[in-house]
Amino acid sequence: MASSPRTGRSSVARIAVTIGVLSVIALVAITIIAGADPLGAGQHFVNGLFPPVAVTDRGIRVRELYGYVFAVAVFLFFLVEGLILWSVVRYRRKPGDDTLPPQIHGNAIAEIVWTAVPAIVVASIFVFSWQTLNVVDAISTQPQTKIRAVAGQFQWQFEYLPADYDPAANPPKEPLYTQLAPTGDDGGLVVPAGRTVQLYLFSPDVIHAFYVPQFLFKRDVVPGRLNTFEFTVNESDAGGTFRGQCAELCGTGHRVMLFDVHALTGADFDAWLQQKITEANASPSPAPSGAPAPSGEPGASGPPPAAGPTLQISALNVAYDVATLEAPADTPFKIEFDNQDASIQHNVAIHEGSIGGTEVFKGEIFAGPDKRTYDVPALKAGAYEFNCTVHPNMTGTLTVN
Amino acid sequence: MATTALHPTAQGYRSTLYEWVTTTDHKKIGILYLVNSFLFFFIAGIMALLVRAELAAPGLQFVNDLTYNELFTMHASVMIFLFVIPILAGFGNYVVPLMIGAPDMAFPRINALSFWMLPLGGILLMLGFVTGGAAAAGWTSYSPLAQDRPLGMTGPGEDLWIVGLILIGTSSILGAINFLVTIFKMRAPGMTLFRMPIVVWTVLVTAVLVVMATPVFTSALIMLFIDRNLGGSFFDPANGGDAILYQNVFWFYSHPAVYVMILIAMGIISEVLPVFSRKPLFGYKAFVFATVAIGAIGFTVWAHHMFTTGAVYLPFFSLMTALIGVPTGVKFFNWIFTMWRGKLTFSTPLLFALGFLSMFLLGGINGAMTAAVPVDFAVHDTYFIVAHIHYVLFGGSVFGIMAGLYYWFPKMTGRMLGEGLGKIQFVLMYVGFNLTFFPMHELGLAGMPRRISDYSSTAGWTELNLLATIGGFTIAVSMLPLLWNVFVSLRTGKIAGDDPWEGNTLEWATTSPPPPYNFDHLPEIRSERPVFDLRHGPKPGSAPTVEH
Amino acid sequence: MSSEQQALTTTTDHSPVAGLAHDARGGISNVVLGMLLFITSEVMFFAGLFAAYFNVRANAALWPPINPESVPPEPFHLAILPLVGPATVLLILSSFTCQFAVWAIRRGDRTAFLRNIGVTFVIGVTFLVMQAIDYVELGREGLTLSSGPYGTTYFTLTGFHGAHVFAGVIMLGVVLYRGMAGQFSARHHDAVEAASLYWHFVDVVWVLLFSLLYLLPGKG
Repeated sequence: MASSPRTGRSSVARIAVTIGVLSVIALVAITIIAGADPLGAGQHFVNGLFPPVAVTDRGIRVRELYGYVFAVAVFLFFLVEGLILWSVVRYRRKPGDDTLPPQIHGNAIAEIVWTAVPAIVVASIFVFSWQTLNVVDAISTQPQTKIRAVAGQFQWQFEYLPADYDPAANPPKEPLYTQLAPTGDDGGLVVPAGRTVQLYLFSPDVIHAFYVPQFLFKRDVVPGRLNTFEFTVNESDAGGTFRGQCAELCGTGHRVMLFDVHALTGADFDAWLQQKITEANASPSPAPSGAPAPSGEPGASGPPPAAGPTLQISALNVAYDVATLEAPADTPFKIEFDNQDASIQHNVAIHEGSIGGTEVFKGEIFAGPDKRTYDVPALKAGAYEFNCTVHPNMTGTLTVN
Repeated sequence: MATTALHPTAQGYRSTLYEWVTTTDHKKIGILYLVNSFLFFFIAGIMALLVRAELAAPGLQFVNDLTYNELFTMHASVMIFLFVIPILAGFGNYVVPLMIGAPDMAFPRINALSFWMLPLGGILLMLGFVTGGAAAAGWTSYSPLAQDRPLGMTGPGEDLWIVGLILIGTSSILGAINFLVTIFKMRAPGMTLFRMPIVVWTVLVTAVLVVMATPVFTSALIMLFIDRNLGGSFFDPANGGDAILYQNVFWFYSHPAVYVMILIAMGIISEVLPVFSRKPLFGYKAFVFATVAIGAIGFTVWAHHMFTTGAVYLPFFSLMTALIGVPTGVKFFNWIFTMWRGKLTFSTPLLFALGFLSMFLLGGINGAMTAAVPVDFAVHDTYFIVAHIHYVLFGGSVFGIMAGLYYWFPKMTGRMLGEGLGKIQFVLMYVGFNLTFFPMHELGLAGMPRRISDYSSTAGWTELNLLATIGGFTIAVSMLPLLWNVFVSLRTGKIAGDDPWEGNTLEWATTSPPPPYNFDHLPEIRSERPVFDLRHGPKPGSAPTVEH
Repeated sequence: MSSEQQALTTTTDHSPVAGLAHDARGGISNVVLGMLLFITSEVMFFAGLFAAYFNVRANAALWPPINPESVPPEPFHLAILPLVGPATVLLILSSFTCQFAVWAIRRGDRTAFLRNIGVTFVIGVTFLVMQAIDYVELGREGLTLSSGPYGTTYFTLTGFHGAHVFAGVIMLGVVLYRGMAGQFSARHHDAVEAASLYWHFVDVVWVLLFSLLYLLPGKG
């Protein structure tokens, strides 16, 4: 074809130039995407090769280990790629050269060296990683805080446990307070900075994984198995919020299994937990207000004389059965919500315009199979969207007219 | 199509088809393997493009969550079980009897049977797409997610996937037995074990891995099937089973399977580098021992896929995983010093071999990083791991496969593939590959888990995902020159002759393509390079030169 | 049309193709080596099932577990099965008769060969019948594939062993048929060697299974 299979210098030069040009084009494209700032992009690129800054005692150790392993990796990478590049550039066959190079079959000393040196390198990585592992996996007998994380399809909940909680006891002690909402300012895992936190992982259905990138840590949540780990958030990171996510494929809602970790100072945490316990005791069960709407004449039986209709919606397999709802404007109405998903929490929340809009109503979150009737206040005419607070991918539109 | 010359008679057409379907010639079966594998490569590639398109920007644009799960599950299953593993077996099928001077495989009809089980198994594997949903629990198919539960969304597609894989596995086992008997019993006079080409050694070790590991996978699949359909309680904690047990049995196979997917590609590289450097492979015996060591250690590292389960003895598996880096390192230095002081010709096979060296290196290094258990805690099940496996399986295996294709195409068809198109393909593939998979390291370190169909626009992952998608489509584009090249070269490619590359091994001592039963006469075999000896005359004194 | 020619010869004979390079290498025949490798893969298959069995057993608090249908509640009794003892003895005996058949054909004694293969074949069929009767008995007692880890592992292990006995019986049947057609001699009997290796393998698996399921003391 274009060049004979025996060409040497010109061919390799062309390929090198082409790869170079394409790489530069790619780099330029990357730079443009990254904000037209080559130096900043370079800095960004190098930073991206490291995990996030750790916010726990153990995470700091993992990041140190990563630093060591990464340094070894970079050295080996450039050493070997350099040798390859050198061979390619230096030992090209000259055009018309038909002589054989020296026929070298091997060298025993070289083989021993490049068996022994990598062996020493991997041994050093193993020793350092073992030392770090012993710290990361260490579990104390008297942690200052005990929390149980329950991961089910597809939500997290966090149970704050009494100090004398023993996961092996049967039945184990009841939690002091259960945090149902996995995300948001008023939801998620709240932990005291500077205190040891022991986490027990429990799954009622399939395997999930507790993963917080800034902890540089994850642990699987395996049904039928108790996994325990411990960490202490740095005191300097009190006030921070860290993103967490399920890291083991758990079904169609895998991507929505997000949670937030809020770190409070020790005193703030105590006050927060106390307040939550008090609130929970004050209203043991927020019973649905009003009697369930009878099936017959909805207009006549409701307590408010001008009450609107009752809308029906149900949830099964983490999806609503209807995509659109309609309601009259400026009239309070009811939503009868039938959650058919066993032990999965759902609700109906209504937002102005789209899901990102202001939340005008939020129904109680509860686990199925169960029903609730929500009393929705009067809404202005317009377009609304509703979704499930726990599963933001369950959505539908509500038209008020 | 107007000329009568292009119209084969109905009889002639039928007999050509009949001949291919009923053939027991290892060369034809080898080509059937290659064609079949590339068909499945195309299908799985389309799935990968859909996955990349969906991830290019936040929000669900093209598919829903369930379809997305089906796509990545089937992408991995098809790529692994119907492309990489069988295409390497296909190269083995074509070249092993030629390279050891045998007329055919030991059991030609079992060889045909092994092949024909593949398309059948492949169709079963993917049949779920038309029967109400393909398998969607990941190619690992972890229990209890793979049990019949409404939220796992695993319907009959999962059962079809299981049955298809059992069939493919059986095909693989029968093929491996055939390779072993062929290699042990059918070598030509003079072809001692330590004169076999390296690619034959890698086929040998691969076959041992398949015979020892694949049946264990079959047992795992059967137990999963019993759990799902017959009320069994092996793996489902809700019925008194053990979820971790499945992972142990699964990875006992699936880790050695990684070596099944890479060893023969390493063997191909070890044929290509010496030929295009005009030197023997540096450290032949060290290379053989390293291959055997990788195979042996490969059986002791399976639980490194399970570090985060909290259910395995971490230091042991960490040490063994790190140790596997040693024989791999030995191979790297042997490859480099094969080129050292050689005279390199940059034909397409060598380019792809160099692509293998430079990219598989990164797949080895980022894999060794995760052998440090705490580092694995940070990056496990994130895009860092996706980057790792693609640097091994694409940067390693696929570049090796391309090297093998360009290297042996002249032997298989009698015509050369075009060098110009080959170089265009190489450059596009090399750049596209790095653009796709390098950013995934950074995505993983930044905390993006695998197997999610969408991510928040506030997570900071958008730009890198867009880059990866652009790269993915570049890889797809790089396949067009290959297709055109094969299409054109089959008709008008340069006539290859018996030995276009000045090869070393016995397949270059016969015609291109070889006749039925391969050889009219064999050259004398006095070293691992019989055709080199024939061309340049035997060395004075049979002892190999060892340079200090 | 060499491929068609070849299709006419049987797997177990030395095909002309195999013969070309075959004489260079002594030792065991291709067929016997192939069978040994196939048995290796079968061993690994059973290793997977046995691993699952040990794992499930180690996790259980009580083994065998309580039979929910028994009054008063008591564990499953496998030892009371009426036929499993005789079946085991018969299967072990059949390994001997199978080997006698191999020795006979090596000597060229076709009569003894056919007699011993016939006896082995009949014992194999008898074993399968006895296992079926045992299954019915167990079903009556309330143990099925879906009655928890105990039933699942019991029926999976013995069931797959049974399937292998069935495959072995078919091999023996083919060997018997071909033997009666006079296809084996002192020099050409690779199929007999291969079938007998498979039969010994099936037998050894049963001895292991029997020890595990019936002889190993329970726990809890």
